[in-house]
Amino acid sequence: MSDRESWQAGHGAGIVAALRDAIGADRILTAREQVAPFECDALPVYCERPLAVVLARDEEDVVATARLCHAKGVPLVTRGAGTGLSAGARPYGRGILLVTAAMSRILSVSPASMTARAQPGVLNEQLSTAAAAHGLYYAPDPSSQIACSIGGNVAENAGGVHCLKYGVTVHNVLALRLVTIDGEVLEIGGDCLAQPGYDLLALAHGSEGCLGIITEVTVKLIPLPEQTRTLMADFSSVRAASDAVSAIVRAGVIPAALEMMDALAISATEEFCHAGYALDAAAILIIDLDGAPEEVAAELGLVQEVLGSSGATRVQLARDGEQRQRWWKGRKSAFPAIGRLSPDYYCIDGTVPRHRIGDVLEAIQAFSQRYDLRVANVFHAGDGNLHPIIMFNGREGDALDRVEQLAADILEYCIAVGGTITGEHGVGIEKFNQMAVQFSDAEIGQFLAIKQALDPKGLLNPDKLIPSLAHCQEYRALREGQVEGTNG
Amino acid sequence: MAEHDITGRLQQSVREALREPPPGGLHIRGGNTRSGLLATRRGAGAATTLDTGGHSGVILYQPDELVLRARAGTSLAELDGLLADHAQQFAAEIPRPATGSTLGGAVACGWDGPARPYGMSLRDTVLGCSMVNGRGDLVSFGGQVMKNVAGYDLARMQVGALGTLGVLLDVSLRLAPRPEYSATRVLELPAADLPGWWQMAGLLRPLLRGTCYMEGRLYLRLSGRRAAVEKVLPTIGGEDGAFDWESLGNLRLPFFCAERLACVYLPPHTDFHADAGGALVEWEGARVWVRDGDHGALQRQARELGGFVRVLRGPAVEPGVNTGDWQRRIREAFDPAGLFNRATYETHFRCPERPPCR
Repeated sequence: MSDRESWQAGHGAGIVAALRDAIGADRILTAREQVAPFECDALPVYCERPLAVVLARDEEDVVATARLCHAKGVPLVTRGAGTGLSAGARPYGRGILLVTAAMSRILSVSPASMTARAQPGVLNEQLSTAAAAHGLYYAPDPSSQIACSIGGNVAENAGGVHCLKYGVTVHNVLALRLVTIDGEVLEIGGDCLAQPGYDLLALAHGSEGCLGIITEVTVKLIPLPEQTRTLMADFSSVRAASDAVSAIVRAGVIPAALEMMDALAISATEEFCHAGYALDAAAILIIDLDGAPEEVAAELGLVQEVLGSSGATRVQLARDGEQRQRWWKGRKSAFPAIGRLSPDYYCIDGTVPRHRIGDVLEAIQAFSQRYDLRVANVFHAGDGNLHPIIMFNGREGDALDRVEQLAADILEYCIAVGGTITGEHGVGIEKFNQMAVQFSDAEIGQFLAIKQALDPKGLLNPDKLIPSLAHCQEYRALREGQVEGTNG
Repeated sequence: MAEHDITGRLQQSVREALREPPPGGLHIRGGNTRSGLLATRRGAGAATTLDTGGHSGVILYQPDELVLRARAGTSLAELDGLLADHAQQFAAEIPRPATGSTLGGAVACGWDGPARPYGMSLRDTVLGCSMVNGRGDLVSFGGQVMKNVAGYDLARMQVGALGTLGVLLDVSLRLAPRPEYSATRVLELPAADLPGWWQMAGLLRPLLRGTCYMEGRLYLRLSGRRAAVEKVLPTIGGEDGAFDWESLGNLRLPFFCAERLACVYLPPHTDFHADAGGALVEWEGARVWVRDGDHGALQRQARELGGFVRVLRGPAVEPGVNTGDWQRRIREAFDPAGLFNRATYETHFRCPERPPCR
């Protein structure tokens, strides 16, 4: 009998009492109404009730929780702010959910070494706010940056709008403290610009709480740019806007941000917050250029020229900070704005080579008609990172099934054009099936070997991120049947 | 450019070695230009050499995507030429100790050049890789796109793994536009003034691409749009100068010709004094090269300051890995039979239960 099976057979009894003893009864939630808010993350179609929720105050609480779960063979899922979009923080049924949100202190900001040390519950935006006094900021900025926490950012390897030039989380974190399932504290990385041994920092990023629990993060801060200028370009077709993205990069410019919105996203956002977008455009690009003023001026000229020759119907340069902010506010509120158009929405996440963006957007349009669902697109075009937002009504009987099928078709199309099923939201439960399409059995086997080596009892965030080989084979057979059915 | 795909042969060699293990395991060799870069203790039993240098050629180069995928045995010099034709370069500055240096060797070593503190490290620019693991399986991780979080990041882990996790077949790397203009400024100053200069360097950050202090002179390299660089240069002081940044990155300056050579990695702006021999300071004090020093003493000093030492020539030191037995477990997860680069693994990864090596 495996550890998890023996736990399910009742051998994990006494874990709640032991946690109360170790951590304090007031930090352990078990009552139904107290646990309910923790049943899902920001992908609420997947819910599960944990046996208990542990509200950790510090690393000692985390170590104590890990040790007890390890000793009693009880599954342990870690949750930060709960803003994840792939159900990575959905609790395991009758397991322990460890919440690090209350570990929310910035431990230090060092302007000399341009670093900050933070507990995992510190919100992404708080890091930049704290660093601003020193003329510094933390670059990765997910759309949820006012609510998402840095521990979760590391676990998911979060991206954001400004990652094209400055990289995603893994490029901006220097060190971690990580608690293993048996309660050992590892210091990974450090203040040096190189590290001895295997790159465990890379391994920890995007490991979705399956290998360890992050208790401290040291981030790299960078100087606030001397100048930032913002361009907005309107296009009469999605294809022309997509091609302009490649043309900008071809011209030798790496903008700080390069975002795209299609007509549905534009109209929803415009109605929601009057950002000043052109309602008659089929697509718009919003482009940030930053750096030394001479650098920005040179690149502005280049980009304006490229946009003109790429068929932009109008190119505007934000005249002041207020207009810039308004354009960006629109982009950052696009998800809630689109959310108002239908009772439910579901945002997916795939990355494709930039030159295939146009093909993928056209394919999404065709798929959406097949399943009779509307899809809006607002995404990080410079990275080729798409975020199709599927609108639906969950009360319609088969709506969720159709959404899942449409999402699967889109993600598998991303793989077919040389891309990936997730650029920044993570696999979690949501894209568990598509792992079987992106990876071979040998590759899944290598992932499982890593998991087995570092969490031999399989207690950390079970049944997420890496599917079993049996699951992969089942899913591939199922999809083959579906595709044959569609073709026939 | 030579195009040779010997994937089948390499995979077969690993599978044969699994069936009939050579006494010393398999020793992976690419261009064989970096074997002198890291002091490695001799392993027990002779290893059978697995030559990957013949596995070469570009698999994919899409200038619009800023992505290159090439086989491990491809010569870096040839790739430079190809990228230059499109006004592009690797997004990280990659050392190439000799003309025959290969992409695979660069990734396995994971060393970075003078630009490291001001942009991406080689590890940062890896998008994906293919390899034969220690089960003899052909596996690929990551891909050719800019953002990718599907599965564990096992591609980036190959950087600096010194070939101890598998036989690297090909690597996908992020590229960057070649800067429009570069210039070097030289200042004569005593070592005692360096900390003040490192603080100042923060202001030059968006354009700074390298710092080197050697024999009483501080060299600063700036790159970017010509107008921006030319505006900043006169504000720095000192004078225009020439410096062979390429030879610095490739460890081919006369300074590096020493019997003993060690590299000390330190937190930025550390006040570090190399007592014996000469020192060359890079990365705003975060990397210091010491020739003919006492490696044991250097290691102790570096540790106290929160750093560590890598030895290129001369007596080896403990690897300074402090992550429990995760290093061993990861090695076993990739290479259960301990087939690849055994002596390298023992010298640079295995720790800390082992008694000190000197």
